[in-house]
Amino acid sequence: MHLHWGWLIAIYLFLGGLGAGAYLTSYAADRGWLGNSPALRRAGYFMSGPIVAIGTLLLVFDLGQGLRKPWLLVRLVVNVKSSVMTWGVWILAFFIVVSLLIALLIWMKREVPAILTHVGAVLALATCAYTGLLLAVVEAFPLWNNYLLPVLFVVSALSTGLSITVLISNIIDKGLATDEVKTTKLHVYLVVLEVILIGVIFGMAAMGAKGVVAAESVARILTGEFAIWFWSCLIVLGLLVPFFVSVYALNKLGSGHSGHALSAATGSGASVAVGEADSLLKVMLLSDALVVLGGFVLRYVVVFAALPIWNGTLM
Amino acid sequence: MSKLDVKLTRRTALKVGALTAAAVAVGVPVGSLKKSTVVKAAGTESGEKKQLGFLYDQSKCIGCNACAAACKKTNNWEEGIEWRKVYSKNTDNGKVFLSMSCNHCAEPACASVCPVKAYTKREKDGIVMHRSEICVGCAYCLYACPYHAPDFNKAASGAVTKCSFCVEIQDQGGKPACVSACPVDALNYGDVNELRNRSGAVAPEVNGLPPASITNPSLVIIPKE
Repeated sequence: MHLHWGWLIAIYLFLGGLGAGAYLTSYAADRGWLGNSPALRRAGYFMSGPIVAIGTLLLVFDLGQGLRKPWLLVRLVVNVKSSVMTWGVWILAFFIVVSLLIALLIWMKREVPAILTHVGAVLALATCAYTGLLLAVVEAFPLWNNYLLPVLFVVSALSTGLSITVLISNIIDKGLATDEVKTTKLHVYLVVLEVILIGVIFGMAAMGAKGVVAAESVARILTGEFAIWFWSCLIVLGLLVPFFVSVYALNKLGSGHSGHALSAATGSGASVAVGEADSLLKVMLLSDALVVLGGFVLRYVVVFAALPIWNGTLM
Repeated sequence: MSKLDVKLTRRTALKVGALTAAAVAVGVPVGSLKKSTVVKAAGTESGEKKQLGFLYDQSKCIGCNACAAACKKTNNWEEGIEWRKVYSKNTDNGKVFLSMSCNHCAEPACASVCPVKAYTKREKDGIVMHRSEICVGCAYCLYACPYHAPDFNKAASGAVTKCSFCVEIQDQGGKPACVSACPVDALNYGDVNELRNRSGAVAPEVNGLPPASITNPSLVIIPKE
């Protein structure tokens, strides 16, 4: 017995969520839900199409026929009735087109029709959910076969998407910080939600609710060969550190003005010293990078630690 | 956290909640939908449709591997690929074997996940057919099949292949090569509903095989006592 999905599938699932999450961050910022940083309202729209497209291309080259008979790939769209992969091909294709179109309109300084951004947002949510559903429908891999997995992947996608967009926005618009209070609060909620979902999904598996094989699979993550990645890169660096950094930052920012607290501080030197605000911002951006790392490690451990329901040996 | 703006907190929490609800709304119906179709299919399982299957008598099998060898010769397996395999295990009652190929399941998971519809279930006898010439080699079916029946060598053809139940030979009135090759009559085939009525016949859930409820396999085993 040898299975074939390698690194590329984990990267593909991660990039699908990251791109869609970035889109949704800019969509939310565009609605004014995340303050009024101009960069935050565009960075996600610009990034999302290319990120998802790169992920998709990687997977295409990984197919057995990707470089041999690529014309066969046209048929990937036919099994609409039952193949989650077919659903994904449709969702991703439309998402890539819509987000690239929006990026083009913004770049040409044309007005983006609101309906187009709404359609894109629905497709982005569908993209995040698809990356989890692809695994969740596989009954022969009990760790995956849990319909909370797509929910976890959606939350992780929103979290990594928010982080990469905040990160890139700050690089584009140096000094002109985003609305840290709002984005940081959202960070805290997403991290807490992700920890709860990981706890429930892995807890269900560990306690045997998903059968012996799921318990064995999750043991590989919690105490086995994937434990080092899971605990260090996902739990500590990807979730706990960003959580405490965000909470600490909120305490600092909360004592100043709401809204553009950091830039206000940098401007007036009111409640937070200029140097302190600058280093706080750096720490927050570092923690954003860690969230993105954690999102990748989540896909990695879930894809690779899952064992088949029958491993090809008799008992 | 005490310094958080209460109004904003509640609003953001609502938004996060709404997004989660949306995600659940996407995930949950699909899950329940899948379950309901499984139940429906199980209900019609004993019905009229003919379904060919294999009968494997574990007490007769001597582990000679003639079935797999005949399959390899007849179907020209690709490098590194096995359509039928004889598994073995030393137990307290001596050695036990299990000769298994594709089980031509009543609810083939391979067919339901395949994005290009390379799998079809033949109407007249329920044989699960696979068209390698349109397979894109995504390997999703390798993960979906609990029996590891579809096999794939990316470096060779890069397309999935699997047991065809020797459909061409059967269509000319012959028996599958593996069945013909068995020297001790341990491997047989026929209408699976008849095979299930043989004395001592059970579902293939012996020796750690996965639950038959996943795909409803057309394999019947007479276990070694």
